[in-house]
Amino acid sequence: MPPDHIVRSRYRSASIVRHVQPYLFFYPSFLLVAVVSFLPMFYAVRQSLHAASYLEIGPFVGLANYVELLTHGGGLWNIQTSIIFVLGSLALTMPLGIGLALLLNQPIRFRTVFRTILIVPWIVSQLVTGLLWMWLYDGRVGPLAHALRQLGLNVSGPLTDVNWAMPSLILANTWHSYPLVMVFTLAALQTIPSEIGEAARIDAASAWHRFWHVTLPLIKSTVLVALVLTTLHTFNTVTTVLIMTGGGPVGATEVLALRVFKEGFQFYRMEVASTAAVVIFVLNIVFSLAYIRVLRAERA
Amino acid sequence: MTQPVIRARSGRSQLRILGVGITYLALVLAAAFALLPLLWGLSTSLKAPADVLSSPPRWIPDPVDFENYARGLFSAKFLRYMANSFLVVIGSLVVSVGFAVHAAYAVSRFKFAARETLLFLIWSTIMIPGVSIIVPLYLLTVDLGIYDTLFVVVLAYSAWLVPTLIWLLRGFIETVPYELEESALVDGCSRLKAFYVIVLPLLRPGLAAASVLVFVTIWNDFLLAFSLTLRDENRLLQVGLYSFVTELGIEWGPLMAATIGSTIPVVIAFALLQRQFIQGLTGGAVKG
Repeated sequence: MPPDHIVRSRYRSASIVRHVQPYLFFYPSFLLVAVVSFLPMFYAVRQSLHAASYLEIGPFVGLANYVELLTHGGGLWNIQTSIIFVLGSLALTMPLGIGLALLLNQPIRFRTVFRTILIVPWIVSQLVTGLLWMWLYDGRVGPLAHALRQLGLNVSGPLTDVNWAMPSLILANTWHSYPLVMVFTLAALQTIPSEIGEAARIDAASAWHRFWHVTLPLIKSTVLVALVLTTLHTFNTVTTVLIMTGGGPVGATEVLALRVFKEGFQFYRMEVASTAAVVIFVLNIVFSLAYIRVLRAERA
Repeated sequence: MTQPVIRARSGRSQLRILGVGITYLALVLAAAFALLPLLWGLSTSLKAPADVLSSPPRWIPDPVDFENYARGLFSAKFLRYMANSFLVVIGSLVVSVGFAVHAAYAVSRFKFAARETLLFLIWSTIMIPGVSIIVPLYLLTVDLGIYDTLFVVVLAYSAWLVPTLIWLLRGFIETVPYELEESALVDGCSRLKAFYVIVLPLLRPGLAAASVLVFVTIWNDFLLAFSLTLRDENRLLQVGLYSFVTELGIEWGPLMAATIGSTIPVVIAFALLQRQFIQGLTGGAVKG
């Protein structure tokens, strides 16, 4: 038997290890996230309350940057453009995603093949989405312009047309976004026991009736999650818009997220970029809270 | 008496055949919508340079020509961009999955001070959209003198991914029965050893999904890489594609070769590893 003090010290070192271990396991992640996510957010809030000259922070100005952005600064226009972009995308993405999920949930042949093909746009990057659709929309040699010309419509390129730029952008974004809704909805549909559908079918309920009164209530919370994710994802999109229109023509597609990018990396107006960045962050929180509230109300 | 019943039934089955027909038609149209932009890009990339701008548009390249690939995808510059992306993916895999799997284990197996609060803080950063922190992150890295290095890009992506990875991996860790570790601990195995030898091997499906998420996120991201790098030699793939558009004036042939060529590997990987992709991507769907 080892002497008493050795046992104790061995016991003590083991207990120190046991005490320190959780922190050794957990803290690297926490520190990394703190430095790369919290610190910049703090930087952004601080900069949004100060004036700036190029990369240097200037004197404290209170909320003047926010007032400026939302009055003369065109911030309201950016927010309005963002809302159109989001609502337009939702109007196409949600029915398309849910509809395709319903189709894929049926016992049909080649289901896996269809599902695989239909998910592909999801794994293509935003930049590539933008490039592919730009090329498809090309006014001189693109197949879309060609098809329209044969119908007697002369389109010189929808992305440079004030009225067509936003719808074209929405279509490209829909292409990239509907698979998420489809995948989420399909997962929810597959948890519905088949007896429920059978019962409704025996009651001779119409397909539409079955969907609206039987299926939809069962998948509502998943659909809501997909709706919120699509909203946030679209609202925060910079890349697709940057590459396709750069915010033009004449600001028709200048969404708030793009404004942040341009102010920060093209005009180097850091106070404007930071202010808009904080506004985007706050709106993200608002969207998410609204959705948590809806979900809670649902469960209660 | 039986006549009307039969007629009604055959009417219903005709309706059903019609329904199935409509289902297939809708799915074929949707599949065409999904593939159209990619196929048009592929077609362009395989055309001879002189045919790229031919009008009316032709879908089948004739002759098939690989010069666009030589000048786009396989140009020295673009190979460098892809190698950079690959390096950053590897580095971020080590850092983010390495950190996250330990943190996820700590969260589901240890009790420690302020555990719930700290976890909440980590997960709350999922709500910070990338676009809100790129500008301050840029300023911060300039202040610290680490701007325009691949090292800082690895750190930033890792921090971006860690919260989601903890979420994803915790789910997998909690499916491992605690009794396995407990019996090892009773046998005198250390905690650390129990984690590495017993738990980690059982997490392989989770680690696969996590790796897919890391790979797709970094391979596809433009915003963060653009914000944190400047020199040509530090550009990642998507920034490289972007520079093809802004710097040279668009040459669609080589551009489509680079675009399609850098996308197809991901598509093929997806077709082979669908389950892991969907697990990883639905986990990562949270981050904007």
